[in-house]
Amino acid sequence: MTDPAQRARLAFLSRVIIKETDHLLITNGRVFSQPMTPERAQRLTDDIEDSEQVDAFVSRFGRLQDTLGNRLLPELLDALGESVGAVIDNLDRAEKLGLVSSAEQWIVVRRLRNQMVYEYIESPSVLSDALESGHAFASELEATSVTMIRMLGAHEWGDKATIEKFLAARGSS
Amino acid sequence: MRLTDQQVAAIRQVVSTVCGDDATVQLFGSRLDDDARGGDVDLLVVLPEPVERPAMLSAQLSAKISRHMHGRSVDVVLSAPNLTTTPVHEIAAQEGVTLS
Repeated sequence: MTDPAQRARLAFLSRVIIKETDHLLITNGRVFSQPMTPERAQRLTDDIEDSEQVDAFVSRFGRLQDTLGNRLLPELLDALGESVGAVIDNLDRAEKLGLVSSAEQWIVVRRLRNQMVYEYIESPSVLSDALESGHAFASELEATSVTMIRMLGAHEWGDKATIEKFLAARGSS
Repeated sequence: MRLTDQQVAAIRQVVSTVCGDDATVQLFGSRLDDDARGGDVDLLVVLPEPVERPAMLSAQLSAKISRHMHGRSVDVVLSAPNLTTTPVHEIAAQEGVTLS
């Protein structure tokens, strides 16, 4: 059961996720128009322009994953009448419901994010692998956004026009 | 060392399954201090062969081991012939205790 306050929170989160998804994909396309090699990763410390782009990618990637997994998912499970618990339990539930493809992969990617920060990671091959793995997972984050937004739309738990536009842009409704 | 025998066995099992039997694993950091409480689990995994996806491998080990430790935060540093040695490797090599 949903009450008006919960419907308002779901609608708000749907708007946030739509913006975060669109913005992540733009930065994802820009940063990875060239492959992130260990050599390029090593240059990030001195390449201001590239490091700003990479920072934008890492931060948008992290925000979207956290908004989907830590904010929308518990709210959505509650609205669906499912039990809500610790993050890992919610992800297991989400996997069973087909909202995420793999709970374990989701947690692995959360751990990967710690290794995407060029100020901390002193090994160029670790940094480049973390960023390339993030790039590979960006489409999975988008797919999760689409699945969750579609579910919100189906229950009329969000702004109809915004949701329809977002899904139509992906050939999905 | 503040790890139970079951936790040590679980860590070794995950490392051996993911990295093979030739990998060794050492505990370093605050979990070596018997007087401290809680804290992250810091592990150094030493691999005899070059590793192609070091960040992904470290994240997978960390996620799997963390699951065996009720979600406790686990940091895994890798050492392999193709990876840069950083100060954290030196600390781990100095104070680390091999889990066996």
